Amino acid sequence: MSRECTLDVNGSLTTLQVAPSARLIDVLRDNLGLTGTKEGCGNGECGSCTVLLEGRPVNACLLIALEVEGRAITTIEGLLGPGGKLSPVQQAFVEAGGIQCGFCTPGMIMSATALLEANPAPTDAEIRDALVGNLCRCTGYTQIIESVRAAAVRLGTGDRPEAPR
Amino acid sequence: MTPFDYHRPETLAEAFRIAGEIPGARYVAGGTDVLVRIRSGRERPNALISLGRIDTLARLELGSVTRIGARATIGQVLDHPELTSAYPLLAQAARPFGSTQVRNLATVGGNLCNASPAADMAPVLLALDARVEIEGPQGTREVPLDAFFKGPGQTDLAPREVLTTIVLEPPGPDARSCFLRKSRVGMDIALTSVAAHLQLADDRLTRVRIAAGAVAPCPLRLRAVEDLLEGRTVEPGLLDEAARLAASEIAPITDIRASANYRRRLTRTLVRRAVAAACEESR
Repeated sequence: MSRECTLDVNGSLTTLQVAPSARLIDVLRDNLGLTGTKEGCGNGECGSCTVLLEGRPVNACLLIALEVEGRAITTIEGLLGPGGKLSPVQQAFVEAGGIQCGFCTPGMIMSATALLEANPAPTDAEIRDALVGNLCRCTGYTQIIESVRAAAVRLGTGDRPEAPR
Repeated sequence: MTPFDYHRPETLAEAFRIAGEIPGARYVAGGTDVLVRIRSGRERPNALISLGRIDTLARLELGSVTRIGARATIGQVLDHPELTSAYPLLAQAARPFGSTQVRNLATVGGNLCNASPAADMAPVLLALDARVEIEGPQGTREVPLDAFFKGPGQTDLAPREVLTTIVLEPPGPDARSCFLRKSRVGMDIALTSVAAHLQLADDRLTRVRIAAGAVAPCPLRLRAVEDLLEGRTVEPGLLDEAARLAASEIAPITDIRASANYRRRLTRTLVRRAVAAACEESR
């Protein structure tokens, strides 16, 4: 029992056969090989699986793949610029040390990317609020907050890529 | 996760037909509660009927009455300036609701149909005297929200019926309101929440509505408190009396998050503070 489904991921359309109960996270990782999106809790609590659905962060573990057929999905892989250049948010996480084991990082970066798109100069409280659905178990959140702050500065100085859809 | 079939009807009529043909199917909107329950094995539907393509369910209209499509997400409510300025309670409940990711999926109607005693949208919608429109194969009916909740996870919906719209009256010229919610950390469900909505003119309270969450099998109106406050002038002695009365109207339980006694004390404090804050709110 499988269904044909056309997904719009990172700007390209892919038609594939999916099980009706397959979640978006399953199809991204297992069918499309986009393993940057991680599954942590599987219950919409940890945010490791955060992707953008039409520009808004959502949990890919809480979405059935068929539900998002034809709607624009952006994963961490979709943030890369030409030649594999890291996005300003990705670059800021590298430079400010917002990464330890790396498992929560793609989700953190997707949430931060959506935040900065809507609010280019967030306060620390707004950054923390935007990341309330992204858990990091390695460390404190200080360097992650600093990374988002640094990304805002980068974007504010003109290092702005094309907006994710 | 037990496999299930997935249907995406584009009209309610088609949804009713599919629901009639597949015993054991259930409706799903945002999925933030349903998929978690399926994954944990607490529910095993053989098919899900998504309401995601029925666009008539996602309308938001302000007019002589306000109509909130049941499938509007919590995020859409928060991002609707006319709606949140007419009804600040909606924003106060929507802002701490889950995470950004959850708010972008979870729907207002889903939060009500899930019928958790701690549902964040329930106390504010009860305090706003919301009515819900329900559509089924036999037609459309409307019920007051406080008659919709029947118990934890239980509602007035008959099999195949869908909650389509939440209907609100205009807030009133002298409307004041406040929603207070206590939880331990971000993203946690409420230990107790209280919503107050009232009219304040010439120092007198009228059309007083007080509702509480997570202190009884269903979110509930505190009618004895409302009756006490109706027509009165706010003064500390009255608030003390309202707080005491509130504690006698609820039936909290002890669970992993808080004891019944703590919830009772919280309710007293939150009722007093919510009424006082609503009266002090400047409009």
